[in-house]
Amino acid sequence: MNTCLKTTPLNDWHKSSGANMADFGGFDMPLWYDTGVKNEHLGVLKSAGIFDTSHMACINVNGNDAFELINYCFTRDITTLKQGRCVYGAFLSSDGYCIDDAIVYKFSDNFFMICVNAGMGDAITQHLDANKKNLKVVIEDLSEKIAKVDIQGINSARILSKLIQTPDTVFTKMPYFSFKGNFNESVLGESDVKLLDGTPVLLSRSGYTGEFGFEIFLAPDAIVKLWKNILSAGQPFGITACGLGSRDSLRAGACLPLSHQDIGHWKFINHPWDFALPYNKEKTSFTKDFLGADALVPAESDSFTYPFAGDSLRKVSAGDNTHVIDETGAIIGKVLTCATDMGITWHDGKIVCICSDNLPQGIKIKGISCGFVMVSKKMTPGMTLTLKEGKRTITATIMTDIRPDRTARKKLDNFI
Amino acid sequence: MKEMSDLNLPADVKYTKDHEWAKLSGDIVTIGINDYAQDQLGEVVFVELPEIGDTFSQGDEFGSVESVKAVSEIYIPISGEIVEINEGLEDAPELVNTDCYNDGWLIKVKPENTSEMDNLMDKPAYLDMLKG
Repeated sequence: MNTCLKTTPLNDWHKSSGANMADFGGFDMPLWYDTGVKNEHLGVLKSAGIFDTSHMACINVNGNDAFELINYCFTRDITTLKQGRCVYGAFLSSDGYCIDDAIVYKFSDNFFMICVNAGMGDAITQHLDANKKNLKVVIEDLSEKIAKVDIQGINSARILSKLIQTPDTVFTKMPYFSFKGNFNESVLGESDVKLLDGTPVLLSRSGYTGEFGFEIFLAPDAIVKLWKNILSAGQPFGITACGLGSRDSLRAGACLPLSHQDIGHWKFINHPWDFALPYNKEKTSFTKDFLGADALVPAESDSFTYPFAGDSLRKVSAGDNTHVIDETGAIIGKVLTCATDMGITWHDGKIVCICSDNLPQGIKIKGISCGFVMVSKKMTPGMTLTLKEGKRTITATIMTDIRPDRTARKKLDNFI
Repeated sequence: MKEMSDLNLPADVKYTKDHEWAKLSGDIVTIGINDYAQDQLGEVVFVELPEIGDTFSQGDEFGSVESVKAVSEIYIPISGEIVEINEGLEDAPELVNTDCYNDGWLIKVKPENTSEMDNLMDKPAYLDMLKG
C-alpha cells in the first residue's frame, strides 16, 4: 500500500474483512471482499448492499447569495429546487469542460450542500471561491469531516427502519432525489432523521447503482458503528458489503457516468446525461446563464458519447489502446468505460435483468459487458460497433439504456 | 491479495514465468493457471480456450482468462496438440479460482517433445522468480 493514501474510518474494517484494497481518488478503498464482485453486484440487485463512500467530499455553501453563486456555477437550474430536494449536475470551466459532477442539496434558500467526488472538495471549493466575486457567501470544505454509507437495493428501507428513530415518519413522502435530516445540528437545527442512539444523519434517497436506496451522511466517528449495525440488521435479508468493483459494474449498467472518465476535460455536451444541462423544453437554448454555457455551442470537431452493450460478458479495457470501429471498418473513437453487469443477459434481441418480472423459464443470466464509447461521429441506437484491443475484439451495440427494470425511481411504498 | 506464504504451489507441477502450471502424466500434459495468477486476476467470469486439434508452440498464446477486473492472455507451457479442453469451465469459470490445479484445469496437450518440460520452473525456482 502507498503510505500517502488517505483512509476512511472503515479502513481497518475493510482490511480485517478480507477486502482487496486499491487507490481510488487518493484513498485506500476496498475493490471487493471475499464475497467477490459478482455476488456483491447481484446482492444489490436481489436484496441490499452497503458501500463505504466516505472518500467523497462535501462542501457547504451558505449566505444570502448562496443560491446565486451555485446557480451560476452549476449546470442545473436550481431556481425551482425545493427545500429537502437534491439534484444532479456538473461544474464546468469557462471553456465548457467538466471539472466534476455533483449533487446539490437544498436545506434552505440560503443554505446548500454540494457532494462531489473523492479528492475534489478542495478543487470545487476553490472554483466556487474564484467565482464568488462580491457575493455574500461562506464556502466550507467538509472533506474528511464527514463520512458516508450508501445502502442500495430493494431491502434498504426495511433494514434501515430497524436502525432509525420514527421510521414510519421518515419513510413517508420521500421521493427519488429527496432528503431528510442533517449531520450538523449545531448549524442546521435538530435533525429529522436520527439513529436509535440519537446520532443525527442526513438521509438522501439517491445512490450510484440505479437501484432503490439511500446515501447516509454522518459524522466520521459514528460510521463504524452504523456500518456494523446495518450488517447485523441486514443479515436476515442477506445484505452484502460491497466494494468499488460492484459499484462500477452497477453504475455502468445503470448508465451513470464516472467523473474524470466518462465526463471530464472536454466539452460537456453530446452525451447521455443532457438532463444535467438546463435546456428549455425544445432543447434550443438554456433556461439560465451559467459558467461554461457560452462554450457549449456545437462545433464540427465535437465528439459524441454513447452507452453500449457488448454481445456477451466479454469485455475490453477502457482507454486509448482500445479502438472503436464502425460498420465500415473505420476507427472512430475510444472506450471510456467497459464493465460487466453480471445481472443481465440478452434474450430475443433484448436485455433482461435477473430481477425482471416474467423472466423466461430456465434462462441463464450470463452477464453483459457495457459502458460508454466516445466517437467522432453521430450515431443512432442499434448501430453495431467493434471494440478492438490488440488481438481481442468484441461486438457491441449502441444503446439508449442498458440494465432494464431498475428500481431507483420506483415508489418507496413498494419497498417498506 | 494473498501473501507469498499463503500461495498454494504444489511441488509436483512445473511453472512458467507467466504463472501457468503444467503436469505430465503418462504422455499427456495438463495445463492451468496457478494460484498466484488466479489470486491476482480475481473472480474469473469467462475462459476462452482453443479447439481440440489446434497445435501450438511453447510460449504461444492459446486463450484468455477474463476476470471481473481484467483480461489476461494465457501462454502454453509446452509445444503440442490440444487433445482435451475443460468444458466444465463454460458454466463454472469460477473453478479456476476455487480449484485451479484440479477441477479448474484448462487444457490437455499431447506434447511434441516432453523434454520441453525441463525448460519450466520447479516450485523453488518459481518462488524465487516471484520474490524477484
